[in-house]
Amino acid sequence: MIQAPRGASAPLVLGSEPRAVRSAFYSFFTLVLLALTGCATHRNALDPTAVAHLPRRVELTDTPFYPQEAYQCGPAALATVLRSADVAVTPDELTPEVFLPGRKGSLAVELIAATRQRDRLAYRLDPDPRAILEELAAGRPVLVMQNVALKIVPTWHFAVVIGYDLDAQTFTLRSGTIERLVMSTRGFLRTWDLADRWAMVALKPGELPATPDMHKYMTAAAELEAIGRLEAAKQAYETAREQWPNSAWPVLGLANVQHAGGDLRGAEESYRAALAIEPDNIVANNNLAELLLARGCLDEARAFAARALKHATGTPLEQATLSTVTKLEQATPRSEAECR
Amino acid sequence: MKRLLQKSIVYVLIASLVSLASPAVAQAQMIGTLTGLRAVERDANLAKVSAVLARAEVRDQMKALGVDATLVEARLAALTDAELSQLAQNIDSAPAGGVLAVIGVVFIVLLILEAVGVIDIFKKFP
Repeated sequence: MIQAPRGASAPLVLGSEPRAVRSAFYSFFTLVLLALTGCATHRNALDPTAVAHLPRRVELTDTPFYPQEAYQCGPAALATVLRSADVAVTPDELTPEVFLPGRKGSLAVELIAATRQRDRLAYRLDPDPRAILEELAAGRPVLVMQNVALKIVPTWHFAVVIGYDLDAQTFTLRSGTIERLVMSTRGFLRTWDLADRWAMVALKPGELPATPDMHKYMTAAAELEAIGRLEAAKQAYETAREQWPNSAWPVLGLANVQHAGGDLRGAEESYRAALAIEPDNIVANNNLAELLLARGCLDEARAFAARALKHATGTPLEQATLSTVTKLEQATPRSEAECR
Repeated sequence: MKRLLQKSIVYVLIASLVSLASPAVAQAQMIGTLTGLRAVERDANLAKVSAVLARAEVRDQMKALGVDATLVEARLAALTDAELSQLAQNIDSAPAGGVLAVIGVVFIVLLILEAVGVIDIFKKFP
């Protein structure tokens, strides 16, 4: 895993790379450092024009507060945002799912998994402070990860941002045992920066984030599908279809959920609808081919499978589409009467 | 008689192995939405990095560093999804343009070389 050095934190670990690389690196190191330091301070300031449309001050005072027990900031913070998304859950109920006693803490992936288990979308925000402000202005508390120590000896912490004040330059959090922690914008962004700016909101399946991104939203919805929360995934896909009617992905998601739920006729219609929007979509072509094969419609299935493979060549989907084509080649032709 | 018994056992075993294998072949190979989305994302990230690699000033810089750009390109394919997306993100946030243009190019080149494992300069402390 690489990380762009911020400020003076880039250590010099030079190994067996070519000499030219080494000397070039040394000669540019100072310049790069200067440039990056400038960048880092710039990144920590909120651009006033970008937040001009937002209220100057927001505080979600209704957000519940669960004082954490020793080290258990993960369950406490997650319970706080889940409550705000209408999930009746307490930190104690979440602890066995997200707390690792050996590490005295939780991992971000576990918080995401526990969110999905409760039919909520774990929507990860852009690594931009503005994204947090947008969600707060829309009335949603934001779960954030912070590094409250140093980059080289990190101490991870989860907290919930419940407010900001653009004039006073502060953020307000439910954090640990403190119900209302007011941090300077600068101080908060530093701890957030050191945790790679990780932030998420819990969305009800019919809900969109304040600044919805199709790919991010669909990924969060597809994660629900992947663990078998089909009804929640379906609602999320329907919401996405309304929001992005020109994208094939929400319709394709619906088709996959219908197929998984045994609604083959509905699934076929949806795959065809997805292909009407994006004829070369690999997944829609492949899955429609599979569905038609199961129905005995070999000729039509072969056409879709071939198109899927054509566009999947060189992508991670090549293997899956290739096996569909192979399977269709081996399939014994049945009478057309079977294809209904 | 013993030979016949041995033979029949072998045939039964062969038959059972074959029948074990065949359902896997016939199994539906539906692609989940998440798998599809991730593949699309990987493609987009790969395209972004390749586009940067194709730029003349980046190639020149690599040449100056004695690194073969085609080799780097080949190594990109071996990156995991997470590594690739991190690299694309880092390129996005790298300083570029204006008076920083030259530094930006060098920085991006170093980022790419680091990602594919040619150099090892941005490693964090253990």
